[in-house]
Amino acid sequence: MTTSGRTEARSSGMAVWKAVLLMLPAALLSSLTWLGNLMGGDIDPLIVVALVASWLGFTVLFVLMLTTGKTYRYRSIMFILTAIALPLDFIPYMVETYGSMMLADDVMFSGGASFCPLTMPMIIIPALVKGVVIFPGEILPGTAKGAFSIMFILWVGASLAVGRGWCSWGCFYGGWDELFSRIRKKPLIKHKQIDSRWRYLPFAVLLAIVLLSAITFSPIYCEWLCPFKAVTEFQAPSSVLAVMQITIFALLFIGLVVVLPLLTKRRIQCGLFCPFGAMQSFLNKINIFEVRIDLEKCTQCKKCIRECPTFSLDESSLESGKPLMTCTKCAQCVDTCPQGAISYHIKGTPLKANPTVAKVLFLYPAYILLMFLGAGSVAAALYRILMLVTTGSMLH
Amino acid sequence: MLAWATGSLLAGAAGYEGLLIGIAYVGLSVLLLVAVLRKKAPSGSCAFEGARVTLNRWPAFLPIGMGFLVGLNICPPLLLAFTGAVSSGSLLGSLIFFLAFFLGTSVYFVPIPFLGVFRRVSALQIVGKFAAVIVALYYLYAGILLLAGGVL
Repeated sequence: MTTSGRTEARSSGMAVWKAVLLMLPAALLSSLTWLGNLMGGDIDPLIVVALVASWLGFTVLFVLMLTTGKTYRYRSIMFILTAIALPLDFIPYMVETYGSMMLADDVMFSGGASFCPLTMPMIIIPALVKGVVIFPGEILPGTAKGAFSIMFILWVGASLAVGRGWCSWGCFYGGWDELFSRIRKKPLIKHKQIDSRWRYLPFAVLLAIVLLSAITFSPIYCEWLCPFKAVTEFQAPSSVLAVMQITIFALLFIGLVVVLPLLTKRRIQCGLFCPFGAMQSFLNKINIFEVRIDLEKCTQCKKCIRECPTFSLDESSLESGKPLMTCTKCAQCVDTCPQGAISYHIKGTPLKANPTVAKVLFLYPAYILLMFLGAGSVAAALYRILMLVTTGSMLH
Repeated sequence: MLAWATGSLLAGAAGYEGLLIGIAYVGLSVLLLVAVLRKKAPSGSCAFEGARVTLNRWPAFLPIGMGFLVGLNICPPLLLAFTGAVSSGSLLGSLIFFLAFFLGTSVYFVPIPFLGVFRRVSALQIVGKFAAVIVALYYLYAGILLLAGGVL
């Protein structure tokens, strides 16, 4: 072996050790989360298999993220897995507990629905004015899956840690959008054909639902617009009103989450409709992590604008060196920029500061968020699948 | 308070309050949709073009006449909000309704007190227009349901 060959081998060996050392704290932290699921009761061997397999899978993907420079690809795999896993576990749970994923009115209004983070913008004004939480889910942990108090603490922590990064790392619905946006190789509707004014729609939806919810004391978005009821739970079609609501959310799911992402290769629901994402955009302002463009390296090829899945880059971004406030920090632009001009950055530090350090410091809270919100579902879904294979049923 | 008082008055009209509010919802939400979706801003138009021409011939009446016409100018969001507040059924409900109305319309009004500073922020106007369409559709649907038999 030549001297240069030996040097290369040594440096690649160092890189692997570095990655292992970087990954260790995350692997230990995540193992605690998975071990928590084993506490109490008899340990089913299938649960152990599901937990170990999902823990190993996530850890390997995190190592790949750290070592290969393909953050977007491996984030996307984890993100899509968590989105698919949620209904795989949640729907059987609903069937076991309530007999169906359709909730009767009395169950819905007695707090049988599980609390969802998307309700956060709507509950603030009624909670301040009347001291009531208008979503019928539980406030403290109980029988339902996920309570308001837990979700609120998670949301505050996650918003401080990653800002709108929530939408590409924490949201357990966004993966559906991302899945369908990645199926086609080329878009049938190109980004230039989409009027840029649609980017303001999520802010309008946010404004409208916050005000209408304050006026009507009901979670308007959940009742009328949320497409993700298609993969969780919804009100039984016991009245004309409920039938209308089911029709609307089903059409929104098909249109915004399936068809339009397929045609445009963009996350249409996340980028052009979701009011929670709009609210998170404001929280991007108080988050220390951001994505920056080095204007000295940038050749204005505009590949980043064409590739951004959430419409968060435009011509003005290439002038200012920053994406728009709607950036979800998904790393697509970071990975695809041919000049390596786009990187994660910590606010207040020089732009030329080591981007690898900023990336690692961002990836840690982002990965931990993804793990806390999604890894449990992945393990549980895997367990249900193993149950199906071994017993022929996904139900207990 | 006026909205609450009107609501209390309507409550006396047994059997008809749903119908009246339903008609108002449908009519005013359609008006709001028209106001938002037409290309020219409502503030730049005049409902009584003939009257304006006549007033122009008699300059002495112009300020009074224009003031009167401004008073007649229909503001669909305000009327829709008033109708909504009427149907809220309580003084607190009416007050919250107009608080929400104030917050919502502030998106439109922000450019006025800071002329020259915020006028260029067309984003706010786009957001305001989109939000107005969503609210109008919501009330249109609510009005249709009220007219159809009070399902909502």
